Amino acid sequence: MDDFEQQLRQVFARRPAPPGLKRRLMENRRSQQSRIHTIPWQRLAAVVVLSAVLSGAAAWHKREEQRKGEAARQQVFIALSITNHALNQMNSQLAAHGRAQK
Amino acid sequence: MAHDWQPDFEQLVDAHQSMVFSLALRMTGDRGLAEEIAQDVFLELDRHLGKIESAAHACFWLRRVAMSRSTDALRRQRVRGLHLCVEMEEHHGIKVEERASPLGVRLEQLLATLPEPQRAAMVLRYQEDLTPEEIAATLNAPVATVKSHLQRGLKLLRAKAASNLREYVRQKEYARGV
Repeated sequence: MDDFEQQLRQVFARRPAPPGLKRRLMENRRSQQSRIHTIPWQRLAAVVVLSAVLSGAAAWHKREEQRKGEAARQQVFIALSITNHALNQMNSQLAAHGRAQK
Repeated sequence: MAHDWQPDFEQLVDAHQSMVFSLALRMTGDRGLAEEIAQDVFLELDRHLGKIESAAHACFWLRRVAMSRSTDALRRQRVRGLHLCVEMEEHHGIKVEERASPLGVRLEQLLATLPEPQRAAMVLRYQEDLTPEEIAATLNAPVATVKSHLQRGLKLLRAKAASNLREYVRQKEYARGV
């Protein structure tokens, strides 16, 4: 190694790290670690909220279907009772008409 | 493979922060970016601490990741159309009294003008005192390529330093004459 290379070695010696580098690094490390630890809790909370929303939506959908079914059944009953009433009326009219012919 | 070495992150930071920061600074020429790179490198070390087998392995790992992060940072700057490096020292807040000599300052500036692969090899050779084989392992490059980068880098730096010295002497003589 010649003089020039020796000089390069001296000139290119390591520089001291900036003051506070370690402190900032340790702070970043702590915040990263706390972020890593909070992630499972956040995931768990998200799963609970999502499942609550989905099961609520499913229950609401089921109740809505039942309500619609009930309403349709009521309408069918009303229609049948109207038909029944009309048929009874027609029957009594026909009976009255038959009696008049005799 | 099981290993007995128990790494202590804080001790590793104490022992190697100067090395990692200096590598990043000499590669990028930007103190702020070098500090950012040093932080990234140590945070990555923290994530991979379980895979580190010895103190020597930690040192090798840090050198390797610091060089690769610095190269990535330079590439990103090139993509953005910025040319970082080259303006060392006085533009980045290093006090002049930290430097040994004006020639030292000039050599740092001349190093920053070398092509990136040559600069990487030169920094590892003269800052870290590594052999070409160790440099090749750190940079993941063939030994012959590293040797060639070292020879060319040294030749270029020598030529630039000589021409710079002639210029310096001429300016001194001119100043004395005036």
